[in-house]
This record gives sequence, C-alpha cells and structure tokens, in this order.
Amino acid sequence: MASRRLCLGVDARLDSDGSVVKPVDEDEVRALCRTIRDSGAEAVAICLLFSYVSTEHEEQVKRIFEEELGDLPVSVSHEVAPIWREYERSSTTIADAYLRPLLGRYVQSLDSSLRSAGMTREWTLMKSNGGAMLSGAAADAPIQTVMSGPAGGMTATEHVARALGEPNVLTLDMGGTSADVGILVNGKQRHTTEYEIEWGLPAAVPLIDIKSIGAGGGSIAWVDAGGFLRVGPRSAGAEPGPICYGRGGTEPTVTDANLLLGRLDPEYFLNGRMRLDASSVTEAMEALGEPLGLGALELAASIVEIANENMASAIKMVSLERGHDPRRFALLAFGGAGPLHAASVARVLGIPRVIVPQHPGVFSALGLLLADIRVDKVWTQAFRSNDVDAELVNRQFGRITERAVAELRQEGYAGEPEIRRAINMRYFGQNYEHEVEIEGGELDEAALERAFRGFDRLHAERYGYRIEGEVIELVSFKVTVIGRRPHLDLARARASTRRERSTRDVYVRGQGFVEAAVVHRSALEPGEHVEGPAVIEEEGSTSFLEPGMTVRRTAEGPLVIETGMVA
Amino acid sequence: MSTVIDPVALTVVDNYLTSCCRDMGVTMMTTAYSPIFNESLDFSCVIFDPRGNMLAQAEFCPSQIGTIKFTVDWTIEELGPDGFDEGDIVIHDDPYRGSGHVPEHMLLKPVFWEGALVAFVANVAHMSEVGAKTPGGLSGDATEIYQEGLLLPPVKIKRRGEDVDDIWKIILSNHRTPRVTLGDFRAMIGSLDMAERRIHALIADYGLDFVQAAADELMAIAERRMRAEIEAIPDGTYTFEDAIEDDGITDRDYPIKLTLTIDGGEVIADFTGSAPQAVGPVNAIYAVTASAIYNAFLHLTDPTIPRNEGCYRPFTIIAPPGTIVNCSFPAPVAGGNTETSPRLTDMIFGALQHAIPDRIAASCGGTSSPFLFGGIDPRTGEPYAHFHFEGVGWGGRRGLDGNSMVVTINGNCRNTPVEVFETRYPAFRIDSYRLVPDSGGPGEFRGGLGGERIFTVTVPEVTVSALLNRMKTEPWGVLGGGEGAVGGLWVRRAGTAEWRTFVEEFGTMSPSKFSGVTLRDGDQVRILMPGGGGYGDPRLRDPESVRCDVAEGFVSADAARAVYGLESYAGEA
Repeated sequence: MASRRLCLGVDARLDSDGSVVKPVDEDEVRALCRTIRDSGAEAVAICLLFSYVSTEHEEQVKRIFEEELGDLPVSVSHEVAPIWREYERSSTTIADAYLRPLLGRYVQSLDSSLRSAGMTREWTLMKSNGGAMLSGAAADAPIQTVMSGPAGGMTATEHVARALGEPNVLTLDMGGTSADVGILVNGKQRHTTEYEIEWGLPAAVPLIDIKSIGAGGGSIAWVDAGGFLRVGPRSAGAEPGPICYGRGGTEPTVTDANLLLGRLDPEYFLNGRMRLDASSVTEAMEALGEPLGLGALELAASIVEIANENMASAIKMVSLERGHDPRRFALLAFGGAGPLHAASVARVLGIPRVIVPQHPGVFSALGLLLADIRVDKVWTQAFRSNDVDAELVNRQFGRITERAVAELRQEGYAGEPEIRRAINMRYFGQNYEHEVEIEGGELDEAALERAFRGFDRLHAERYGYRIEGEVIELVSFKVTVIGRRPHLDLARARASTRRERSTRDVYVRGQGFVEAAVVHRSALEPGEHVEGPAVIEEEGSTSFLEPGMTVRRTAEGPLVIETGMVA
Repeated sequence: MSTVIDPVALTVVDNYLTSCCRDMGVTMMTTAYSPIFNESLDFSCVIFDPRGNMLAQAEFCPSQIGTIKFTVDWTIEELGPDGFDEGDIVIHDDPYRGSGHVPEHMLLKPVFWEGALVAFVANVAHMSEVGAKTPGGLSGDATEIYQEGLLLPPVKIKRRGEDVDDIWKIILSNHRTPRVTLGDFRAMIGSLDMAERRIHALIADYGLDFVQAAADELMAIAERRMRAEIEAIPDGTYTFEDAIEDDGITDRDYPIKLTLTIDGGEVIADFTGSAPQAVGPVNAIYAVTASAIYNAFLHLTDPTIPRNEGCYRPFTIIAPPGTIVNCSFPAPVAGGNTETSPRLTDMIFGALQHAIPDRIAASCGGTSSPFLFGGIDPRTGEPYAHFHFEGVGWGGRRGLDGNSMVVTINGNCRNTPVEVFETRYPAFRIDSYRLVPDSGGPGEFRGGLGGERIFTVTVPEVTVSALLNRMKTEPWGVLGGGEGAVGGLWVRRAGTAEWRTFVEEFGTMSPSKFSGVTLRDGDQVRILMPGGGGYGDPRLRDPESVRCDVAEGFVSADAARAVYGLESYAGEA
C-alpha cells in the first residue's frame, strides 16, 4: 500500500519501558513534512517503536504534522491499534491511512445524498466488531469498518439466537462466491485481533472471528493435476455465472450441481425473476466427470459434497480449533445458498439442529439495523501477577470507561450503557494473550486473584493444561461500552406469499431420485413439521432437507431442521 | 485412477490431517514461551502411521519435516513396536539417533484406538537453551557433540499420562533457562494432546479401517505424483559444487560435490568426493542431508501433492560416512542443520539450472546467521538465552525477483519483531535494521536484498556466540545472473569508533564462528546478511524495473548504469 520510497524514518527512540532513548527532533520532523508534501501523499500513517507503551513521541510527531500539513489525513498507530509487534501495528495503521480519504469522501457524499432526500437524522455504520458507530466517527476510524458485512450477519445471528434461546450457534453465510462462517459462544460473538485483510497484510483491530472460504453457488468444479475433484475457490461470479444462468458460463458450478440434483426449482430462482436452464449442464458435468469415472449426477452429488466438506472445514476452524465441539452448537444458515447446504454440512459435522431465519437472503443487511452502538477502549501496560499496581489499574479502568461512555453519548445514546471489562493475560513468557472477562467494581487483591484463576481455567479449556503457580502477565486492559438500540419488529416486514405445495424428484447419493415435498415457506403454519427429503422455497433462498431430517416452523418465525444427528 | 477409495473422501482425510498439523502449530505458537517458538515458528508438526510413515505435515520448517522422519524411525526401532503405551510422550534430541541437531527436540505421542497403536503425533522444535557449552547452543567452535547440549536418547517424559519426574529433573537442571524450557515443552505436549483428540475424532467419524486405507492410498498418490513430476525433468547426470567456508576451528574451505542423476521417476543425489568431516560444527548428519534434498524437490514440484512419506520414496541419497554431508560420531553438527542444509538445497537448483530453467532459483543468502546470546536479566535476576537468526536475500527466478530478508530456504521462520526482542531480552537495543542497497545479485530477475542490523549492549555484560556463513563466498547467480553480496559480523567496543572483526578484537579463531565472547555495556554488534543470487543477464532486465529499483532504494544509480546498462539513467530519484 505504501512503497518503500514513501516510508520515512524519524530518528527518535523509546525503549521497551517507554523511556526516552533519543528525543524527537522537531526540525527533522518539519523537514520530513516537506518531503511528504512534495511526494503528493494523500494520507500519512505514523508508527514509532514502543508507542503502545508510551504515546509521547507519536503525539509530538502528530502535532507537528498537523501544524505543517494542514488537512492531510493522519493515522497514528497508538490510536489505531495500540498493540505490540511493530510490523502488524504499522500495516494496520497504513491500512487505516489508506482508507481514511476514501471513507471520508464516502461518508460525506452519502450524508449529503441522504439530506437532499430529506433524511436528516444521524446515521450509523457497521463496525467490524459488530457494533455500530455514527457516520462521523467512522470517518475518523476507517480501519474499524473492515469486514463490516459479515459483522452484520453475526449481529443478526445474536438477535435470532436470543429469540430462540440458543446460546451456542455456528453460522454459515453462503452466497455466490464465498462462504463466511462464524461462531456465537454463550450468546456472545468471538473477536480476534489477528486478521489478514484481503491483500495479505495483517490488520490488528478487533474483528469478529470469521473464516471466509471460496465456496459459493458460483464456485467452479475442476480436477487438479493429481486427479482430485476440487470445488472453488475460483468462481463464475454473476457474469457469466453458472452454466444454468445461460449467460455464457461453461464450467460446472455448485449451483449447476444443485439444479441437476433437483434441489433448485428452475422456475423459482430469485423468486421466479430468473429462469434456470439445465439443458447444457448435464453435458458439461459428463465431460468433467468422465476422467473420474463419474456420471453427471454422481459428479453433481460429489461437487455438492466437496463444497460441503470445505464449509465443514471452515466451521471446524472457528469451532474445533478454538476448542469448541461443533456438535454442541446449532447451525444458523443464511445468504442465498446457505440454507440449501446447511443441513448436509451439519450432518457432516454431527450438528443436530439447523436454523433458517426469516429473510435469509438479506440477513446480513438486517444485522445493520439491529446493531447496538459499541465503543472499545484499551489501556496497554504490562504487569506481572505478583506485582500489580491495583490502584493504577483501577484509575485507568475508570479513565477509559469514562472516555468510552463519553463517546457513546456523543454518538447520541442517552440510555443506560452496558459496561464490560476484560484483562488480556498470558503466562509470563507466552507472546499471545487471551481476553479474560472480569467482574465489575473496584479491583482488589481478591478480585485480581479470581481473574488470574479465570485465566488458568480458560487456558486449560483451550489448550488442555494450566501451569500451576506460574506468574501471569497482564498485557492490556479493555473496556467495552454498549448502548442498546430499540427492538426491531420483524413481523412487520413484507414477505411474498405462495400457498402451493407440490412434490419434485431430488437426487440423493445411494438412493437415486426420490420424491421430495416442495413447500413454500409462507405456507407453513407455526409448529408445522415437514419430513425430508424436502425443499422449502422462499424469496431469495431455498432450504434442502435430506431423507430422515425434519423441519419445523417455529412460533418465532425461523425454521428449525432436525438433522437426526445426536449431540 | 486405480483407486478403490472415493476421491472425495481422500481429499477430506488429507485436509483433515494437514489441518490437524496446522492446529498443532497454532497451539504451540500461542502457548510457548521462547520467541523462537512463538514469533519465529522454528518448529514442525507431523503425523505418522504406526510403521513410521509420515502421513501429513503442515507448512512449517522444511529442514525439520525431512529429518523428523529419521527421528521417528529411530525411536520406533529403539523402543520397539510394543514399547509404547497410551498416554506416553517420548522426548528425543540426539543427532546420532536421527535428530537434526541437538537444539531440535522431538516430542512424540503414540495414539491408540480401542487398545491398538494407530498413529504417532510428533512435533520437533528448536529449544532456545539446551545446556551446551555456551548459552543458546550452536557454539561456533564446538569440536564434539557433547559440547552442543544435553543429549537425550528417546526416553519417556510422560508414561501413561503421568510426568516422569526423574527425566524432567535431569532436563530442567541442565538447561540454563528451565522455566522457559518447561513452558515450551508444555506447549508441545498441549499440541500433541490436541492432535490425539483430533485423530480420535477422525477415526470415530470414518472408522479405523477406512482411515488406514485412505492413508495408504494418499501415500501411493503422493509417490505417483512425485514420480510423474520427476519424469518431466530431462534424464541425465548433473553436477554442481559449492563449499562451506570455514568451520570455526580451521580457516579452510570444505568443498561439497554433488552428482545428481535423474533417471525416469528416480533421483539419485550423490555427494561422493565431498570434503571429509570438519572438526568444527558445520557437519550435516545424514538425516539433514536427505532433508535438504527433499526440500529442494518440494520447491521444484507441484505444491498440491500431498506432503507425506510417498513424496520421499523416489529419492536415493548417497553421502559417504565421515564427510561433511554424513559425519561420524562424535563430530559436532549444530551448523550442519542451519548452514550446510541451505547450501545443499541450493546446489540442487544450481545443478538443474539448464535442465529446468523455469523452475529453479539462484542461490539464496544461505545462512541462518545464528547469533546466540545469554546472561542474567538484571531486572529479574532470571537467566535468559536466545538463538537470534536473520533473513537473507533469496535468489532470482524466472519471472520474479528474489525475496528480500526472508529466513533462508531451510527455515521458513519469521523474524522477531524489534518490540518483542527488546522486551524479552534486556541485553540489546536494536539501533538499525535495514535493507542494504545493491546486495541483491544483479540479473534479469534480481536477487533479493540482504540486510544490516546493529545492536547496542544495554546490560553490564552478555555472552555471545556466532555460527555464520557466506561471509567470504558469494551466493551465486544462475544463467548469467550475478552474485549476491556476502554477509559479515563486526564489533565496536564502547567508546571506540572502529568496527573490528571478532578475530581482531577477541582473537577468536574464525570471524564468523565462535562462542562464549563477553560483551559489555555500550559495545555494538553489526550483522550483515547476504543477498540472493541473480537470475539471467542483468542487461536483459526490464529498464522500468531497474528505474523502480533505484527509486525504491534497492539498486544504486551507479549500479543501474554500470551493471544494468541503463545509460540514460539520470538519477531522477
């Protein structure tokens, strides 16, 4: 994002305690400003060593930049990502600076369009951590909006999970080109601070723990050099799209496979706005399947199975790899293609229950409307468990809480905020820390001791062991302040209605074509059951149940599929 | 395909085992104590069948994923097929029993299913302190394996799930930093326990018979595919020669001779004629030599081939005993794995430069630049030790310049952030860490740049050791490409102005390999890392790329004119 010639050194230095080894030379920095101006830079990122310990040097440089460079957008590492590891912090800060002019212009132009359309109220943007922030605040913290789309999906997930009383939920959001999977544990999203944004640079901002893989309806099936059948990550996209779109696509995709297997209705794709054409699909499937010794239908079934396996692997990454057994979770399916695959993916993983929410095709967008306003503040200072300055910690917790609440007020929230506090800890020597949620109120010795034992427990849960009597290092202190937004009533949303029920033959591996019930979702009465094999159609999505599975329409609205797997 | 197992299920089993190895690595990274674990990732994680066949590995340290096969083979042979119980964990670091060098410790756990041994899970990791003659091991002037650290034959540190306290006590009383050793071993054990659970889950899902049949089939597929790749290389006998420049004891070259035969789907790498083993620690053990050859061919062939035992079956490696590529007991071996190994891998590329010019690369910087140090942390009174290594320039290859400052080809390790380094080790402050212009070998595709790091000692005293290479002999170019710049190592004593070699200042036998030198507050160390060799005639380089190199500071304006022939270059940057 920034070429080497545009990376400039400042000859100032702090040590690992934050003490000044070499002070900032104002004249040197002013001279740098001339270079920056002459380079035609559109934004500047500042990242100096150990700024997560002491912000002094970065603040000095920032002040000089503001004096010399006027309105040039500046991103400062201790504000963007106050974490150790200079490379990760720099690349995050550079990404922030890169987005700053873009997002600034975007917010401004959207704002004026909204105003000229007569919409004058404050509006919010989704943050990557699942909270919302006022448009003005977003322009000041652009990196916080990376991955905000999937964050919307997770926020909507929280809403549905609460309504159904499901604390542990895995999510599968499958669209045309990719599938995103996420996890909700005890009703809470998991966040990670390590994420490689698309161009492969590590970004160190708190993000919802989401895995994205190249498995969507448009994912292309191919045979690799070793004769293995593979699906994705290459996608036919929307243009030319799958073969069955009839827009010139020639390579079999997951959607083509689903059509051939009878799981999609060629007459009712996108609520009937698009007609699918299976005529050239069979031929393409036969050609691809021939070297594998597979007929068109067997190949189509294999394509779906491999896409399902790929999605199951991604789900394992956010569950098993984090120490959570997927069989103890429900799987929530959304996105245009999610409900079509979710029941089979659940079977692969041994997941007993699949939830298909209302409006699965626009579920992520729904999340934007449901998100609470959320402000995170972090104070970084290392302590060892045998030498914690509790008074300082309490004071700093108080200070960042106050700042977070003040920001929440600025964002127009007047209610009683929810305050969560956590300490990032690790055994002294480890370099990766874990967030341990702590109780409210004054932190005395006993409360700290409880927090340390909480870390031991968390470590044992995640990694199978604890180290008795080991010194624990406290790395940073975090406050999250949440302003709850009013409840959104989905019942008032308009939905199409089709009352008919029919049957259609669907292909099932090992059984050939079997007759499946085809029901429009709006025809299902609350509490009604349908036995698989079955296809539930609705606007923007289709759900598929294998033989032996059952779907029930809940009173709350979502569909619940019992996969027959026992946890 | 002749397979009886459906290819979809095979893909699933292969991915499952590989992702299990990756998870083992993530567990180690997030829970280990020493930065060479948790920042540099100097470890590997592997799954074996009960006969010692490698079933899967993840993308970690290439020199280890070859040697670990020998380590596991030896362990099974020494303990016997019935020598394992459920819950056991075996530790092993003895190079003369199949380990790569003493710092690399293998932990191995047998996996049982319904009472029967069904797999082994293992990880091998470079411990930062192993009780050698000097802190951090890799003592550059060691003359016997006994000086390179505590030797552990395959013994159990856990028996049926219980710690064997006697063995733990021996290890922890021999390492200078027992607390860190314990933290790192606990991380390795946590990773093995996780892998065991994952394998149990796989068998519970798919059934033991199926998993075993799939594993055998995956190895057969890997072998078939590797042989097909080798068949695509023109048959013939190819030769190449390179050298290790000194051994820390004697200032002489140790030539290495390679005669490489490609015969259909078979490879014979013959090192007959290479120098006798050195007195100092630059000798490669046979497992290291074999691993370096596997590494080269994994670079040259299709990366989608499953990485299991089958990949290694087409290779025969001839390394006469008593030579620098297959030393005899009790010769020291520490640098064989860090310095000689990349040389051997690069030599395969050199030998094949005319046969498969589109696949090979020029020589990389070819040294791990091991710089070891240790002492007592004045802040806590606790001992510390560190194996610090550096990146190098990589060789240019068809269509692409070499990477700059990436850890050498046998390592695949990450560098350690300055902020982590200075926080964990009070001994040094890093004053400068930069790329060196013109250090990349000139070529149509330029070698990657080497770098420079300058440290200042910030404690009353610290003990340092080194085991560097490529300080005299340049990393070679290929097909008309030029040589990368050599590396170097200097010291500047507090209050003086002159950079001097360690020979000049401390009377060490070698400027690049020594151990146990005491530096004091304010002394400075300067390490220069070699660049990579160039690929093809530099005069054929796209002028726009040369201009860009000058603008970015990779190539000087002088070199752009003199070496790349960019006459019109006026130095507008």
